Amino acid sequence: MFFKAIHTRMKIVLLMIFLFFILIIGKVFYIQVFQYKKLNKYASSLWSRNLPIEANRGKIFDRNGVVLADNITTTSLVLIPNQIKDKEKTAEALASILNVTKEEMMKHVSKKTSIERVHPEGRRLSYEIADKINDLKLPGVYLVKESKREYPYDTVLSHTLGFVGIDNQGLSGLELMYDQYLTGSYGAIKYFSDAKGARLKLNEVYEKPQDGINMTLTINYEIQASLERELDNAVSKYNPDQALGIAMDPKTGEILAISSRPNFSPSHYSDYTIEEINRNLPIWATYEPGSTFKIITLATALEENLVDLEKEKFTDTGSIQVENARIKCWKHGGHGNQTFLEVVENSCNPGFVVLGQRIGKETLFDYIKKFGFGQKTGVDLNGEGSGILFNLDKVGPVELATTAFGQGVSVTPIQQITAVSAAINGGTLFKPYIVKSLNEPETNTIVKETTPTVVRKVISEDTSEKVRMALESVVSNGTGGNAFIEGYRVGGKTGTAQKVKDGRYMVGNYIVSFMGFLPADDPEIVVYIAIDNAKGVTQYGGTVAAPIARNVLLDAINALGIEKRTGASEKEYKYGEKKYVEVPNVTGLSVKEAMTKLGSFKVEFSGTGELVSYQSPTAGEKIYEGETVRLMLTE
Amino acid sequence: MKEKKFNLLLFLSILAISIFGLIMIYSASYIWAEYKFHDPFKFVKNQGLFFLIGVVLMIFISRIDFRLYRKHANKILGLCILLLILVLIPGVGTVRNGSRSWFGIGSFGIQPSEFTKLGLIIFTSKYLCKNEKDMKSVKRGVLPILGLTLSIFGLIMLQPDFGTGTIIVMTIIGILFVGGVSFKFFFKIGIVGVIGIVGLIAIAPYRLARILSFLDPWKDPLGSGFQIIQSLYAIGPGGLLGLGFGNSIQKHFYLPEPQTDFIFSIISEEFGFLGVLIVTSLFLCIIISGFKIAHESSDLFGKYLAFGIIFQLSFQAILNLCVVVGLIPVTGVTLPFLSYGGSSLLITLCSMGIVLNISRSGR
Repeated sequence: MFFKAIHTRMKIVLLMIFLFFILIIGKVFYIQVFQYKKLNKYASSLWSRNLPIEANRGKIFDRNGVVLADNITTTSLVLIPNQIKDKEKTAEALASILNVTKEEMMKHVSKKTSIERVHPEGRRLSYEIADKINDLKLPGVYLVKESKREYPYDTVLSHTLGFVGIDNQGLSGLELMYDQYLTGSYGAIKYFSDAKGARLKLNEVYEKPQDGINMTLTINYEIQASLERELDNAVSKYNPDQALGIAMDPKTGEILAISSRPNFSPSHYSDYTIEEINRNLPIWATYEPGSTFKIITLATALEENLVDLEKEKFTDTGSIQVENARIKCWKHGGHGNQTFLEVVENSCNPGFVVLGQRIGKETLFDYIKKFGFGQKTGVDLNGEGSGILFNLDKVGPVELATTAFGQGVSVTPIQQITAVSAAINGGTLFKPYIVKSLNEPETNTIVKETTPTVVRKVISEDTSEKVRMALESVVSNGTGGNAFIEGYRVGGKTGTAQKVKDGRYMVGNYIVSFMGFLPADDPEIVVYIAIDNAKGVTQYGGTVAAPIARNVLLDAINALGIEKRTGASEKEYKYGEKKYVEVPNVTGLSVKEAMTKLGSFKVEFSGTGELVSYQSPTAGEKIYEGETVRLMLTE
Repeated sequence: MKEKKFNLLLFLSILAISIFGLIMIYSASYIWAEYKFHDPFKFVKNQGLFFLIGVVLMIFISRIDFRLYRKHANKILGLCILLLILVLIPGVGTVRNGSRSWFGIGSFGIQPSEFTKLGLIIFTSKYLCKNEKDMKSVKRGVLPILGLTLSIFGLIMLQPDFGTGTIIVMTIIGILFVGGVSFKFFFKIGIVGVIGIVGLIAIAPYRLARILSFLDPWKDPLGSGFQIIQSLYAIGPGGLLGLGFGNSIQKHFYLPEPQTDFIFSIISEEFGFLGVLIVTSLFLCIIISGFKIAHESSDLFGKYLAFGIIFQLSFQAILNLCVVVGLIPVTGVTLPFLSYGGSSLLITLCSMGIVLNISRSGR
């Protein structure tokens, strides 16, 4: 009986032991089956070490596929200190190859970290150095691929493209704005290591890096290059404080070219000041536009039916009295009796004051705002300015008068070119943009695409046509003559604005500008050029900015394949103005014969001999009388 | 009393689990051994020596009549207590892992508390036989032996070795339970136990951190939760079939001293759930055989002795496994047969020799 009691209690104990074993087995099953995924993931991240592989940054293309921002592959040195057995020897070998002190290298090889990048001496290594390191075959010393940003055209489009830092991170411009798209994601070689960092003999896992998204701009590289060249020429010729230019497709708001001076080299960004780098003048600068703004007044007057350009006449006596102020015309003594078309051609200030008075301040300011002034255009670039308009309550007759010809308002270049695009494209204001699309690098699938955005309809098709016609005659008959291109119907408007400093106009310091477009019957490109404080020249938009715009337009004709027009309004020659004449063919003639034929030109020779073997410009091209024709001579 | 056949199943199970233990000690320890002693076989050689001595002793002891211990029970326990006192004296006892629990002989170490575990079981079995009638009385029967047990617990806590102390107390309580002490008493002991645990926590707050770490080891992953997290990182990735023999990653310095308390984690990692089932099956095989021997023994002293030895083995195994799989806080108890530890393996094998001898006596 007593044994029975013992046995009963023993069975109770055995049962409990069983229960505990079942509980333990159950817990193990739970850990190994239900928690398997989670624990395996955690444990893998504990065991694995990553040798990072940098992804390529997304490339930036112009609209025709020209690469504006590229990548070159370099290698960088990575150390895994725990795998380096002989620290002294390793440090010494690396120090001599990388040309640093051994002490410096010792710091890297004995650092208490799982992975040490030797920064900056070991970054972006040349192939020779990388080869040397590779040949040593030192344990714990690795070379990993790194991708370095490359700007094949250096300073071209620098403000807009921006630049990247040593870790390929976007620091300014589009590189910064679209950094999240352009940046790829790191890949890695994953290997397992023990808790002391030594590498375990287990399979490595290669994780492919994901390259960044490619970006296509609305920029046309040929036009951009032309603009850059012209601005460079302007800088060397006039040594201005600043210079800028934009080219836009007026039918879409696409920016075809954009640049300014001073600019910078994105690969050497540290050599420049923050201002030089960050001020993308075409969208940042705000200043009084001067006469280019008259296009807005003109469009408004025409849209409101307040003037008949060809029939109505106006007599300019050289100044006009508005309340207590006498507003002078830029031409001393005035333009005399003229039609309003001639007022536009001559950029006559009193004429525009009259137009402004006819329009009235509410309507004029209403249109100014409708054309997009006083607020940001919303262009997809960093650092846009919004400009300043008079507060309507404070606009008296004088302010109305000056606004009508472009004084007392402050605008940005991008606002102006966008507004003028609207005035000449049939009356539609577009939102300007520069990023055309973002594409997957491998499949080229579109991730994001920008299409032309209509902001509003500002003026009618009819009015727009009249504006184009008037501006065409500014170039063929008026102040914009220097932008004339035979057969391509150039329209445009000059501008000369005094700069304001401390609330006063500065003396002899102007921003001269020109807004030109072609063909005037169906504009495909608008170019705006502004030169700030050109030196050694009469500071007029027509003399400084118009020829620059003309050169850009000339290149754009080729770049865009614009056809020659017939029935263009012929250029009218003013008294004393040089004629625009065709160069005769003199190639193959004797020097004497050639000299006779080229009577109205200057002639320069190169080479020696009696026969002309080559001429520049070639026969049929038109240049101004008195310009130079170069001849190459042979025996 | 007729002679029964030698219990072959128990003997083979013991050999199987011990040899498996040796193999796993090698697999778990060679990284550490190479790192610390430049000899990957360092631990397995030590343990192998103890295993050989242990097996010889087990076979030898299985031929010694267990009734002999009853006669010498007092002397055996007396000697154990003497050793427990001696080990506390600095210079005599050496400190390993923060506890003065060892007599160091070269790189070998012997823990007197391991011998005490067996000595006290022998003494208690004899005590129960002798005072069979008094066991209904708490005052006359239970308190004296419990008092003795708690004194020994006190001595062990001076080292301190909470794990071994707990095993000794729980084993004696288990034997008393089987010996017919009333349920009411165990209920009271339970309450006292809870109060005791609370008291111990109050004295040494690090124990509370251990308890918290078992509830959510990720709260303090580098401190109190460290070991259990490392254990889970071994068990979890093992999955159903394991990473294969020798392929544990956690033994590469992630899990500290993987050949001792946490060897079961490495087994789980290398052999997966399948390995866990095999190891637990071997344990259950030994435990069931042991219970059967206790059940079938016609000698009351042999019954208590066999039960006590097997109960202690079961309790220690469960305590270790519960820690390793994160069911209870870390206590620092090794897994019998499998964990590295010479004197522990030696005593376990000797105990098994006693059980084997009891099995011969039969009913």
